[in-house]
Amino acid sequence: MHSSLSLSFSATSSSAATVSRSRYSFHAPAAVPLNLRFCGLRREAFGSGLAASLNRNLPRRPHSAAVSAALSNNGSTPKSFDYDLLIIGAGVGGHGAALHAVEKGLKTAIVEGDVVGGTCVNRGCVPSKALLAVSGRMRELKSDHHLKSFGLQVSAAGYDRQGVADHANNLASKIRNNLTNSMKALGVDILTGFGTILGPQKVKVGSSNKIVTAKDIIIATGSVPFVPKGIEIDGKTVITSDHALKLESVPDWIAIVGSGYIGLEFSDVYTALGSEVTFIEALDQLMPGFDPEISKLAQRVLINPRNIDYHTGVFATKITPARDGKPVLIELIDAKTKEPKDTLEVDAALIATGRAPFTQGLGLENIDVVTQRGFVPVDERMRVIDANGKLVPHLYCIGDANGKMMLAHAASAQGISVVEQVTGKDHVLNHLSIPAACFTHPEISMVGLTEPQAREKGEKEGFEVSVAKTSFKANTKALAENEGEGLAKLIYRPDNGEILGVHIFGLHAADLIHEASNAIALGTRIQDIKFAVHAHPTLSEVLDELFKSAKVKARASSPVSEPVAV
Amino acid sequence: MAHLLQTPFISSSSSPALRRAPTLRRKATAPLVVRAKIREIFMPALSSTMTEGKIVSWTKSEGDKLSKGDSVVVVESDKADMDVETFYDGYLAAIVVEEGGVAAVGSPIAFLAESEDEIPQAKSKASSSSSASAPAPAPAPAPAPAPVESQPEKVAAPVSTAAAAAPVVASSHPASEGGKRIVASPYAKKLAKELKVELGRIVGTGPMGRIVAKDVEAFAAAGNVAAAAAPGKSAVPAGVDLGSVVPFTTMQNAVSRNMVESLAVPTFRVGYTITTDALDALYKKIKLKGVTMTALLAKATALALIRHPVMNSSCRDGNSFTYNSSINVAVAVATDGGLITPVLQDADKIDVYSLSRKWKELVDKARAKQLQPHEYSTGTFTLSNLGMFGVDRFDAILPPGTGAIMAVGASQPTVVATKDGRIGMKNQMQVNVTADHRVIYGADVASFLQTLSKIIEDPKDLTF
Repeated sequence: MHSSLSLSFSATSSSAATVSRSRYSFHAPAAVPLNLRFCGLRREAFGSGLAASLNRNLPRRPHSAAVSAALSNNGSTPKSFDYDLLIIGAGVGGHGAALHAVEKGLKTAIVEGDVVGGTCVNRGCVPSKALLAVSGRMRELKSDHHLKSFGLQVSAAGYDRQGVADHANNLASKIRNNLTNSMKALGVDILTGFGTILGPQKVKVGSSNKIVTAKDIIIATGSVPFVPKGIEIDGKTVITSDHALKLESVPDWIAIVGSGYIGLEFSDVYTALGSEVTFIEALDQLMPGFDPEISKLAQRVLINPRNIDYHTGVFATKITPARDGKPVLIELIDAKTKEPKDTLEVDAALIATGRAPFTQGLGLENIDVVTQRGFVPVDERMRVIDANGKLVPHLYCIGDANGKMMLAHAASAQGISVVEQVTGKDHVLNHLSIPAACFTHPEISMVGLTEPQAREKGEKEGFEVSVAKTSFKANTKALAENEGEGLAKLIYRPDNGEILGVHIFGLHAADLIHEASNAIALGTRIQDIKFAVHAHPTLSEVLDELFKSAKVKARASSPVSEPVAV
Repeated sequence: MAHLLQTPFISSSSSPALRRAPTLRRKATAPLVVRAKIREIFMPALSSTMTEGKIVSWTKSEGDKLSKGDSVVVVESDKADMDVETFYDGYLAAIVVEEGGVAAVGSPIAFLAESEDEIPQAKSKASSSSSASAPAPAPAPAPAPAPVESQPEKVAAPVSTAAAAAPVVASSHPASEGGKRIVASPYAKKLAKELKVELGRIVGTGPMGRIVAKDVEAFAAAGNVAAAAAPGKSAVPAGVDLGSVVPFTTMQNAVSRNMVESLAVPTFRVGYTITTDALDALYKKIKLKGVTMTALLAKATALALIRHPVMNSSCRDGNSFTYNSSINVAVAVATDGGLITPVLQDADKIDVYSLSRKWKELVDKARAKQLQPHEYSTGTFTLSNLGMFGVDRFDAILPPGTGAIMAVGASQPTVVATKDGRIGMKNQMQVNVTADHRVIYGADVASFLQTLSKIIEDPKDLTF
């Protein structure tokens, strides 16, 4: 029954896509859910709404082949192209774009100077999940009172470092092969070598002077770990996530500079494997990117009970690797007064201060594009903007290289959005519907705005903001797992039931968030989604209860469905 | 939150604290005398089903002025976190239950003083409420690491009282600036706070002389470990599930680690037989004044130690050793489910009557599990006596961090031949010293035992 229903929906939605472009449709209170979804998508595309409306006034660039033929009158551009679409960088973003392009019938090639899979598969999400899977199990096996409460007896748990490292490495190569094979199977050409843009629609691959032309080009070159100046990386005792994921050692005491996603996940891994951790955070609060309430709770669960201490409001100005029998030295200064504050001596330091775009040597100067702190400037349709503020035709940039949202799945979604556009269908990605997750134990996930952001927006735009919360302590499945620690938080508009943000901290939070992110993406309102049924007993009931506990003034918009025989 | 972040690290909230706190603190509530001006802040009942609550965070710090209605503490109940307000104006004088700690509903979690002058009074009340006993009558220096110590360890370091066995920091850390800075790993810091041990008094054995968790545990358990598994009372208590596998408790874990660690110390043993007739006679005479045999033995040992300072030294790092400045005699006491070594501090300086009173108080506290860390972890020489079970001789394991331990057997009537060729009956006891041969040699122990036997055989000095 389920499948038949969803089928009929998707069929209508594709036909409605062209119709529902009107951004006024959301004012119509009686609009059918289908319309609502699309307006949700449009209206929330950008927090400020400014960029979006500006660009709407620009003449829309037609995507038909006829126009590009006209463009090709320009002497510098070739008349016929080697490919319809050329993607520079075979990371998750490039891969997602390539697959979608093939589906849309484009002749596609992907240029990769290193290994297929990019950061995510080789040096990021994928191997780190392997390490986190190990750390999660270690944690369970070492948690005496937890096991005891299950009636389990386990004698001392131990691990083999090389075995753990191999698991991460094997997983990365497996996923890399899957990615490569999936592209090969679909007929995507993989061109090996660094891609350099020579001019419009023209790319040089590698040093062999092989020049490839394509109708449209997507830059998807990703990012590398950002290392602040004064920090000397030796790859052994002062390391970035690239090195840490190889797990060549498990230091007794490791300082982690930065308490964002990367730092948090590694602290989870290291403490589970027996290390002690010192966080160094420049801001006044740990986990600055998260909703304050979530980070407060997360600190109580992920930091305080573990072998972790921290220094907040300090910069690490100088980090010297261990040598000549001396430990790693870290000099700290106060982030505000800039006065020296402390010196730490630790066995290793992990630099997790974020990531910097990898756009050097891309030949952007050949098309008059100036990067901003290394990021390629783009508009909301991922179209590259040159030094004069004009759009560069046929050139797009997705993923970490544009810095909009440095997440693998965001890059992929941006790539799909670009392919939609070059195949003649306008598409704007709603970044506020892109979920994010941090795979600690338990996990943290979020989509949309944090509470302070929502309140600020509400104040500016004159709407009320409400918050609903549910606890994992009240969830049967969570209690069965003895994992009652957790919180789900919904930030919404009580007047119309719009979901502004959802934040979850608790068991399998990363898997639970999608109900909320899909609702935001499709514009589903709380008054409608609260009637959706969840299997009992499952963790998803945390969200069910969350939606039900919200107090929305608007009535459910869906009409009574036709009775369906069961 | 802001308050939390000001401290370099968060107070103990790990599970051992959770397990420890309730037993310690609930008992503490009983003998409390409440005077009008110092009020208790109780753990509130936030729901009908709530029996205990966990302190999430103190939103006010000690010394802060409070007005009625101010939120003071965030408490986590079985359902939610709630702000708890004060009902009175005053000063938050002392926090009894630290962040992360658990307290039963209705038990005091902090003290509120009406005026600033009363803060010290409230503080002492707080510390006495957690030790549940009158302060020692002896002029003991009592370094009293108040249970409310919320200072960052680094600051607290130099506070350690001179009288306490302040060890010379031998393995100075390259960057510790001559011992000014204390380099301790995150877990060691956390543990030190939890066990209320001053990091400044611990010598680190980690890389570069850093203080690591096991140093803190060893320091805290140093007293607890005295003799190897005392039999006696521990013989199969009721309710033991035969055939079951019982995981170590935190204490057992610490003991286990310490025992294994003790294997790294090259020890040797020297025995001696001491005639106790004179001592027994003295004991009979002053027993009525409340003097105990333990106090007499401790006193005798302390007097002997004065003349043999090397017997009171300790070697921690294998490169140097410390002549301890005070003579603190630890005496092993078997307790329910364990072993603890209350310490008679400055046993050489305190008269035997005070020492006896002190001892009684320590034993009472030990039985009630209310000993403060400084009362069981500062021993410099350990006595272990199994004489009361009729054991005539045994062998003790040297607690890591000390130089020697003496195992005392029962004093028994023995037939002896005397120098003048007669055969007579004398009360004799056998003692057996286990010592660290890195610093204490056979001749040291021998001459110490000779001195001790002279003191015991002619005990007039014991009573001054």
